[in-house]
Amino acid sequence: MSMLGSVSAISKRRNLLAYVFLAPALILLLMFSFWPVMYGSYLSFTDFSLIREVHWVGFANYRALFANDMFLTGLKNSLLFLLVVPFTQLGAISLAVLVNNQLPGIRWFRAAYYVPVVTTVSVVGIMWGFMFHEQGTLNYVLLQLHLIAAPLGWLSDDALALFAVMFVSFWRGLGWYMVMYLAALQSLPAEMQEAAILDGANRWQRFWRITVPMLKPTILVCSIMSVLAALKAYQEVDVLTQGGPMNSTFTALYYAYDQGLKHLKLPRGLAASFVVSLCCMAIAFICLRWLKPGHRE
Amino acid sequence: MVKMRDCLEILGSICKELLSRPKLRLILSVLLLSFGLHGNAFAVQKIEFWTMSLKPKFIPYFQELVKNYEAQHPGIKLEWVDFPWDILQLKLITAIAAGTPPALVNLSVPWAEEMARDGLLEPVDALLAAPGATNDYTDAALADLRFNGKVYGFPHYSNVNVIAYNRKILAAAGIFQAPRSMDELLTQAVMISLKTGKPGYAPALGKIDGFFMQQGLDLMRDGKVVFNSPAHVMLVKKLAATYKAGGFLKDKLFAEDNFPAVVDAYLGGRLGVMVSAPTAIKRIQTDAPQIYAQTGIFPVPPGPTGINDGGWMFHFAIPKGVKKKDIPEVAAFARYLTSDTNQLAFARMAGVMPTTRQALANPYFKKINPNAGASEQALAVAANSMNSARSLYVSGIDDYDELRRFLVKAVEAGVTGRRDIQEALDEAVGIWNRKLQGPKLP
Amino acid sequence: MSMHIKKVLRTASQYGLLSLIAIICIFPFWWTLVVAMSTEGNLFEFPPTFWPRGISLDNFIEAFRVIPIIAFYKNSLLITLATVLGKLIVCSLAAYPLSRMQFSGSKLIMGVILATMILPSEVNFLVNFITMTKISLVNTYTAVVLPNIVTAVSILLLKQAFDEVPQDLLDAARVDGASEWIIFYRIVLPLITPWLATVGILTAVEAWNEYIWPSIVISKPEDFPLSAGVLYLRGTYGSSTRVIAAGTILTVAPILVAFLFTQRFFMRGMDGAVK
Repeated sequence: MSMLGSVSAISKRRNLLAYVFLAPALILLLMFSFWPVMYGSYLSFTDFSLIREVHWVGFANYRALFANDMFLTGLKNSLLFLLVVPFTQLGAISLAVLVNNQLPGIRWFRAAYYVPVVTTVSVVGIMWGFMFHEQGTLNYVLLQLHLIAAPLGWLSDDALALFAVMFVSFWRGLGWYMVMYLAALQSLPAEMQEAAILDGANRWQRFWRITVPMLKPTILVCSIMSVLAALKAYQEVDVLTQGGPMNSTFTALYYAYDQGLKHLKLPRGLAASFVVSLCCMAIAFICLRWLKPGHRE
Repeated sequence: MVKMRDCLEILGSICKELLSRPKLRLILSVLLLSFGLHGNAFAVQKIEFWTMSLKPKFIPYFQELVKNYEAQHPGIKLEWVDFPWDILQLKLITAIAAGTPPALVNLSVPWAEEMARDGLLEPVDALLAAPGATNDYTDAALADLRFNGKVYGFPHYSNVNVIAYNRKILAAAGIFQAPRSMDELLTQAVMISLKTGKPGYAPALGKIDGFFMQQGLDLMRDGKVVFNSPAHVMLVKKLAATYKAGGFLKDKLFAEDNFPAVVDAYLGGRLGVMVSAPTAIKRIQTDAPQIYAQTGIFPVPPGPTGINDGGWMFHFAIPKGVKKKDIPEVAAFARYLTSDTNQLAFARMAGVMPTTRQALANPYFKKINPNAGASEQALAVAANSMNSARSLYVSGIDDYDELRRFLVKAVEAGVTGRRDIQEALDEAVGIWNRKLQGPKLP
Repeated sequence: MSMHIKKVLRTASQYGLLSLIAIICIFPFWWTLVVAMSTEGNLFEFPPTFWPRGISLDNFIEAFRVIPIIAFYKNSLLITLATVLGKLIVCSLAAYPLSRMQFSGSKLIMGVILATMILPSEVNFLVNFITMTKISLVNTYTAVVLPNIVTAVSILLLKQAFDEVPQDLLDAARVDGASEWIIFYRIVLPLITPWLATVGILTAVEAWNEYIWPSIVISKPEDFPLSAGVLYLRGTYGSSTRVIAAGTILTVAPILVAFLFTQRFFMRGMDGAVK
């Protein structure tokens, strides 16, 4: 069924068709990705409630938010969570190098490392809840290795709980980033490594002087993803400690979830989530600017 | 016109292709059918009632109850939904906002107070008894649900504490009768410590707010924070003196939940007196039979307010938005749910106390033979105390848990002697004032 | 000789290290399985039990009694199926013009889609919840599925897939007068089936594992998917740890089994994402 007529009619039709194809996706993206950011930011300046009238309150929510101990703890913890990033990235790169070979059965090891990634967070929380129990396996192993003198309350001690949560996040992230680094490693030309071996470089030198620099683009992308994920961490908190003990494991976004949905204080939740959004967007923006000159997605 | 044709053409082809494959057809229809979760019952009246954290233990109980009621009332279809307590409020408000509230919802007293204040509950004064009859709920239970002069729920179950005492330890200290006041209890604790070297009493000072309130000392009066008043200070001084004399069990004295430590100590024969609900007494029977044999029961001395310790009531309320014409049937079911027989059965299963006079007068609670063990005695004592068991809480304060923590810290410093009591309480009052008057989060 | 021994030692130490890390990754699953199958012995004691004692399926049976696991499975399947179908349809429809059609504004649209990768979408759950309540979709599976149907990553992956289709095929078809829709549906789509499978499987796992959004949107716990429902086991009148462990195993088992058979899709998906 060909259309007779001018070229512009054809291209108009083509344009239309393209947009028809794109329409469902664009509508959904608008509704669930863009709209929430805009509407959410507007709502954070009101005293929104599902059942009462809504009034504009200006910066009142934010003033109260930053005077609220729970939120400030959450903010601090979200920033502390960034500690996970270097460990995860280094660990993932090392793992990727470790599994980047053709040893028999290596496929199974790679799969094993990826298993934490495909497990749902709720189950991860339940299982690590068992591990972290005072009479649980982790304490047993540490005691046997003489690394600690007495069983520690990983989830009940407010000095330790956040690190326990961060560890679980690290445990889940390793496999995810390992696969990405593995893909990148496998696309690296082998000649450089071979030349280095001929030159007498040992594994350590080869790793730091050749592998890592060549992985730089991947490292940058993965690090940004990791940083953003750390700032937005809240699901691990929900399944492991629900913010306790004594609110020590609150993160900024968990505060939004807990206050907004469990206590139905929606304005606080909205304000807190907007703060997190801003931080994430700012960081992403800065990183993109930084990457832009030499890089395309 | 070009537009429409293209869109229709594309949609048409998609549909044709999808529907021409039987497997896809099947999947699509399953999806379409399952996508709406709202049930619809047109011919019968559907009553949906929500409970809080009662599955799976009470599945048989409620299934039986539902079956019986539906058999007696052919025009009614009951639906029982149980929620974990931490999501109940959210789902309830969402349902009210969406216009699909349940007919009845299981609430705790503080939540009901909050919702009644926001106008989200229906007053049920006229519905508490069948037309022409009088209701049988205890005064205390109704008082718990009376906000602004109207009652907002059908009382279900509550609890009350009793004192379980180790006869041997108390005899060694020369104590043979029940304490008649908190002061006397504290003195007894000191005597036990002096004469036997063991602590006498383990109050839950992590809940010092309830402690104050039971002794008639409110935390706030007329909107002002007053827990540094001379009366409050005097009470804390008494606690400090008892502490100093070794009258208190030191383990987790100020923890948010000291109950496991208390039970441990009592079961191990290291504590003179344990204040708890009757269910805990049953545990002693199974876990430490020798101690059980030595256990006697006293009632907890009511404070100057006449209120007994340990009350925490749950009830069924009718949310706003339930259709007016449905309410009489809903109320009839609510009365059935909270009737004497059903409450008695529930109380026996759950180890809690019912809130109707007749249930409390039942031989299960009242008839104890003279050689009855401690747990039966506890039930009788508790049943007697139920008419003065009120749920104690502080209403209307945001982030209450956070604030309470400051109070507990101050009391801890004062009782353990680390700080001057007045100073510590003054500082806590200062913190409360600052937070309560600071920028308010809606 | 020494070279040979050195090599053996090296390989052995490699396997040793690999195994150590594998143990750290897998042990929590093993322990949970052990507990789920045990009916004797204390759970939390030193030294911990590494092997089931009193093996039986009692805990699993109890788990079925305590929470409506069959219902949870059904719900999870429904949500997963709907999400996968929705995503494959909507995202391939969107990726096709971006890859194979010239149209004005394509750069802009591409930018918009990339921009959503920067938007922190986890943060949106509050407003999405409010949106769903306002348009009366709250407490439906539609509400659970809709926000997850479109992701920039999927569109990009599929676009890459389309990019690899040889242009001549399309040119020939266009010359023959086929409409764009026919080209898409009959010619190009079948060619990228492996990519569709990859995106489908990745989406399926994500949808099966999501627990927070369904628990926010759905009212009644019986309608939760398995990932959210398993948490329900830890309620106030909570079940014994063994039953919780059994429920946990029932939740992870299908995914793990599916994963073992479809590993390569995950690795391939990452390849695409990295590029």
